[in-house]
Amino acid sequence: MSYFQRIKSVFSGVFMILFALLLLFAPKQSYPLIAIIVSMLVFVYGFKLLIYYFRMARYMVGGKAALCQAIIILDAALFISTMVFMGDLFIMIYLLGIYAFTGFVDILRAIESMSMKSKNWKLKFFTGLLSVLFAVTLVIVGAINGNLEIVVYGFCFSLFYSAAVRIATAFKRTAIVYIQ
Amino acid sequence: MNSDFHYYATYCAAQLAGYTHEESLDIAYSDRFVDLCSKTMLSKLKAPSAAATTQLPLEMMDIRTDVVGLQLITRIWSSFHFLPYDLHAEPPKRCSKRYKNKYRLICGPNGELLKETVKLAKGNSLQAVGLAMHVLADTWAHRYFAGTPSLVINNTNRYFYELFPSENGYTEKKITFRHSATSPDDLDKSIYTASLISNSENSIMNLGHGRAGHLPDYSFIRYKYLPAWGNYEEIIKDNPSDYTHAFYQMVYAMKFLRGMYDSFETETYDTEVDENIREEVNRIINIRKLNLSDEWKALGEKLSGCEIEAFDVDKYRSEYLDADKNSKDNTFLGKFILSALAQKSMVTNKIYNSGNKLAGYSIDYEDKGFKGIRAFKSLVKEDEA
Repeated sequence: MSYFQRIKSVFSGVFMILFALLLLFAPKQSYPLIAIIVSMLVFVYGFKLLIYYFRMARYMVGGKAALCQAIIILDAALFISTMVFMGDLFIMIYLLGIYAFTGFVDILRAIESMSMKSKNWKLKFFTGLLSVLFAVTLVIVGAINGNLEIVVYGFCFSLFYSAAVRIATAFKRTAIVYIQ
Repeated sequence: MNSDFHYYATYCAAQLAGYTHEESLDIAYSDRFVDLCSKTMLSKLKAPSAAATTQLPLEMMDIRTDVVGLQLITRIWSSFHFLPYDLHAEPPKRCSKRYKNKYRLICGPNGELLKETVKLAKGNSLQAVGLAMHVLADTWAHRYFAGTPSLVINNTNRYFYELFPSENGYTEKKITFRHSATSPDDLDKSIYTASLISNSENSIMNLGHGRAGHLPDYSFIRYKYLPAWGNYEEIIKDNPSDYTHAFYQMVYAMKFLRGMYDSFETETYDTEVDENIREEVNRIINIRKLNLSDEWKALGEKLSGCEIEAFDVDKYRSEYLDADKNSKDNTFLGKFILSALAQKSMVTNKIYNSGNKLAGYSIDYEDKGFKGIRAFKSLVKEDEA
């Protein structure tokens, strides 16, 4: 890793921790913020895919698929950004939707692997099922208690984890020594 | 390449180069061990993980494909299995630096790095010779793929046909790929196992020849396909020809390592092998079978007149584990580990100095002293000794 990459990694980790703390202390006010952040992340992802197409994929056989993917993701980012004005419930539904969708995709991938006689489908299927079950449980808990804060706590937990990994990576020894 | 070639064929080549039975066995063992020396195995041996020459599927599933993870993967696979052909190659069209860096890691035979690899083994242990032979042989089998995860370089599509020699040239048969790590490839129906498609540039599914399955590993097969980097121009991969070149280049390289030639030149192959043996080598390479160990073994035993023992991964394990800290480097596995570190250090340095950071950072010890991964300190000690 270059010095710049290490510094960037530490700063992004620290920023993620600060943001997670902010959400923990003010969970009620944090829903629109989450929506903004998520839409921005999706937008950045879509934009990066667009750059990827122009810098890499256009030279590749069948690379136009990357362009189509980028356009669809940018469209999704725009859709998510409209949720900022829709209130807590919609954002909650959206976050749960992400959990459920991720889980559903994992299950589909597991079924695909299984159909191709791969033995690696079990873990994928299990994590996918857990994600779907987590989303369903949150809906039930939320409906019974009328309390949506648990989703924010889940979001904070994933932020803490990512931040820790980024900071730890920045301090790793990575260079290879060459002796002539 | 499969274990049959990396063990028994290497033994045969070592015999033809003039090594004794015991030396040939050590070289063949080291060649084969390159495909097994993973981080998991090294941790069992309490040896430095930086010496890993391969990664197990589960290790790869675990690894993060961030900058550091990608550099780790690239170091291992480019140094030992997909030696880049030309680190300054120019793609046919003007393109981004990022694309160029990946393009320049495409593996191929007879490159400058191969010369460096063979020279590195000169005057070194038999383990270093075996390791260099593994790298050499793989440059032929794995050509056209890169030892770094890359969709734009390593992907393939449905255009994949097996070619069978016929009276009018070749007949074609469409190849079907499936994802099954345990089911053997079906040669009769041309059904082969390959990695799953992944649209992510850095997905581990797009490492090396995963998308083409084990086709590059079979000596008998000929096929045509569209490589992702090839601008819609099909490539015909003639494995029997490539494997024949690999075999005779190994013989030539080992003769050089034994001091029979003053220099090692690329595009040079041994020409002194007896015609009957040539015919036998050609026959074995063209047998349509998944594992040719028995055939290569029989040839090896005919050449040396000695029995070739089956490969045993644990053969030198206790010797290494029982050795005290100061004498570990003198054990069989200790010498292999030093050779692996030296090869990785050399290849990473060449890639880094070409302006390409995909394999990570390389620090020249003579200029900047010791900085970086501690395991490489053993190379300094060896150099000082």
